[in-house]
Amino acid sequence: MTAPLLEVRGVTRRFGGLIAVNDVTFDVHAGEIVGLIGPNGAGKTTLFNLLTGVYPPSSGDIRLEGEASGGLKPHKIARRGMTKTFQNVALFMESSVLDNVVTGGLLNNALPEARDKARQILDRVGLSAIADVRAGDLSFPERARVEVARALCTEPKLLLLDEVMAALTPAEMEEVIDLVRSLRDDGTTFIVVEHHMKAVMKLCERLLVLNFGELIADGTPTEISRNDRVIEAYLGANFAKKQASQPVETA
Amino acid sequence: MTRQRLLPVLLFAGVIILALIPLGLDPRGYEMRILCITLLFASLGQAWNIVGGLANQISLGHAAYFGIGAYTSTILLKLFSLSPWLGGVIGMILAVAFALLLSLPTARLKGHYYALATLAAGEAIRVIANSWADVTGGPVGISVPYLPDGSLWMMQFSTVLPNYYLFLAALVVICLVFWKIKSGALGYRLRAIKENEQAAEVIGVDTYRSKLIAACVSAAITAFLGTLYAQFQFFFDPDTVFGVATISVKMALIAILGGVGRLSGPLVGAAFIIPMEEMANSYFGSSAAGLSQFAYGAILVLVILLNPHGLTALFAQLRDRFTGKGGSHDRSVA
Amino acid sequence: MQNLLTLLQTTIDGILIGGVYAVISIGLSLVFGVMHIVNFAHAEFLMIGMFIAWFAWNYAGIDPMLGAFIALAVTFVLGMLMQRTMIKPILHAPQVSQIFLTVGLLFALENGALLLFGADYRSVSTGYQTQALTLLSTEAGRLFVPLDKLYAFLMALLSGGALWYFLSRTRWGRAMRATAQDPMAARLMGIDTDKMYMIAFGLGVGTTAFGGAVILPYITASPTVGSQFVVLMFTAVVLGGLGSVAGAVVGGIMVGLIQSFSALFLPIQLMNLTLFVIFILVLAFRPEGLTARRRA
Repeated sequence: MTAPLLEVRGVTRRFGGLIAVNDVTFDVHAGEIVGLIGPNGAGKTTLFNLLTGVYPPSSGDIRLEGEASGGLKPHKIARRGMTKTFQNVALFMESSVLDNVVTGGLLNNALPEARDKARQILDRVGLSAIADVRAGDLSFPERARVEVARALCTEPKLLLLDEVMAALTPAEMEEVIDLVRSLRDDGTTFIVVEHHMKAVMKLCERLLVLNFGELIADGTPTEISRNDRVIEAYLGANFAKKQASQPVETA
Repeated sequence: MTRQRLLPVLLFAGVIILALIPLGLDPRGYEMRILCITLLFASLGQAWNIVGGLANQISLGHAAYFGIGAYTSTILLKLFSLSPWLGGVIGMILAVAFALLLSLPTARLKGHYYALATLAAGEAIRVIANSWADVTGGPVGISVPYLPDGSLWMMQFSTVLPNYYLFLAALVVICLVFWKIKSGALGYRLRAIKENEQAAEVIGVDTYRSKLIAACVSAAITAFLGTLYAQFQFFFDPDTVFGVATISVKMALIAILGGVGRLSGPLVGAAFIIPMEEMANSYFGSSAAGLSQFAYGAILVLVILLNPHGLTALFAQLRDRFTGKGGSHDRSVA
Repeated sequence: MQNLLTLLQTTIDGILIGGVYAVISIGLSLVFGVMHIVNFAHAEFLMIGMFIAWFAWNYAGIDPMLGAFIALAVTFVLGMLMQRTMIKPILHAPQVSQIFLTVGLLFALENGALLLFGADYRSVSTGYQTQALTLLSTEAGRLFVPLDKLYAFLMALLSGGALWYFLSRTRWGRAMRATAQDPMAARLMGIDTDKMYMIAFGLGVGTTAFGGAVILPYITASPTVGSQFVVLMFTAVVLGGLGSVAGAVVGGIMVGLIQSFSALFLPIQLMNLTLFVIFILVLAFRPEGLTARRRA
């Protein structure tokens, strides 16, 4: 078996007295699509911020392709091949869609090549028609797509998607799922935070579950849907007890 | 796309007109001096525009670079009869060194904090220039030694006409530098930093390095303009070349009035404000020492209150109305 | 003995002048704390306060310590008007607008005063200006407190205490602090935040003008006097933490001490250089202030 693309070992992050991410350990292998789920405030976005260098971890190790990346600045981590989209959408609002994506392309290309690359990616994610529109003038689902396109243009090995399917219609969700799958087939690895359970179960082959900053489960969607700790985290202890007597219907 | 082609044509025509203007004027006359100062401040505004406009780092301390340039070349000319061209280059190097030093504590500061820190840094240099009298001459000021047989190499001439063309050439070069930065990869990076610094980092923009490059380019240009100014004025003191009001804020004001972040901004701003100031000064003389600066303040306040949310949009709106273009997403492009 | 006396005297001088710096800085900090606006024009209200006190002394024979109350009242109203007409429209504007509005105001006020009053220096003469309270007298020298500085310090203490009482013990003061922390929640609780902003700005510039008036016995007034105070005022505020009123008091006294001690070692022109350097370093490494634990 090959070495993991991403190794996370005992990563903890404190904010003052609050422990947002607590002693989290997991691996991600090249070619996987891993879902990261958990109730609101479980620390999913914080974990993404630690992986991409937005904050340094308080303790623990993060390795990308075997080399330590914890505590590096975000642009260095992006250069190593890991970037993310922003949950609340952080586009360059005054710039056009094309220019947003071009900026991502500048990581590995000179400007003319970055432009060509950006156009190809806009084509692929179906945004060519709005390439010249100001990002601030887009609808929320469109913005989320531009986030994905901009991140893709940095040519990541590992891309962290933070709720890019929020507010999408079921048909649009299908499109995104197909897109992520085809990108994976071309060699990109994904970690996906998503609240829409059906979409997560459909897209991901493996799930990580965070609760109060701790990793409480790591397994296939079927395993996770039967895991008592997960059901308890999502639905409360009482519900879990009741469910224990009945088989859980898998999604 | 038509604008892309129209712009160079317009600029070229503008340069030709500016080059022809002095032919109709007395080369020793007062009007020539006003034109020279206007060109100088258009260049200064454009230099400020690189950091203030493109990177959104609101500097209130650019006088430090300007004064370093003016003093370096003048002191070297005095002591070693060094050509101001070489002295100017040394001034540029010193200004870049100061920009690098200043970036250590300030590169991560934003908005109000950055403005405060640069303001203090500029003032610190002014205090040093005033008290280091052995070298700078202190508060009484310094004179550029007069060379009877002036030459281009020594940057001294019998009329201000050659100065005018030097200022014009400087303006053209600086505008080209600005445009090159703005439309190139660095321009994309600076725009990203301006609009969302954290997102820029995450998609691989080295925000520290990009801001540093912009600051150094701006500092070097400003310093060389200081040398040109010294060779034009022949006399200056620390409170003039290191002044918050006389240089730092005026540079910013010119860029802001004409449209911050735009190539045309400082050109419009300088053409509007400098002749007005010079005429007011000559008309009212010393009887109204504070008048022009009072007017600066009042104009700044008015311009901002007229359109607090879009300084960039003020002239742009007029232009869009003029050219019949209403697109709002055009705002960021030029 | 001589050294010890010098040290003690320097400390006394530093604390006396620092107390006044504290009061003029409190106003600046209050404005930032409530509105999140750095008011570059703030030191100009110190100049205005000095002029009001000077005119009251010159034309009505009112001592600056009492004239300070007139200065406070006038600038309070002026400040509220300015807040309504100029500051309110830029509260949610880009920072470049906020910075240059107050910078523009600085120029307009300073040069407006120059046009109105001329560049002359104006000072007052009072009975206590040349007197000092001797604390200790030995053959090695004496330890004394100049009366004008002592009175200014006491007045500063008085106004600082009054402001503290207002902010922490009165209904309006609490409403103002609520507005500072979370304007949205304050509005939901029925607080008229627009009014709070107006009062905060009026009080902020008023306190600073008050501080300007009480130092008139030992600092001459001129239209450019504000520029001497800009940096030390901002230094006091960032030392204590931008927006923290209590911090501004600590910061002000620290600045007073730094100034009086650096005067022992450095030529007078370089005295402010120490402040500039400290200022930049504090901004860079502890923008939340040296005294602050965590901003609420």
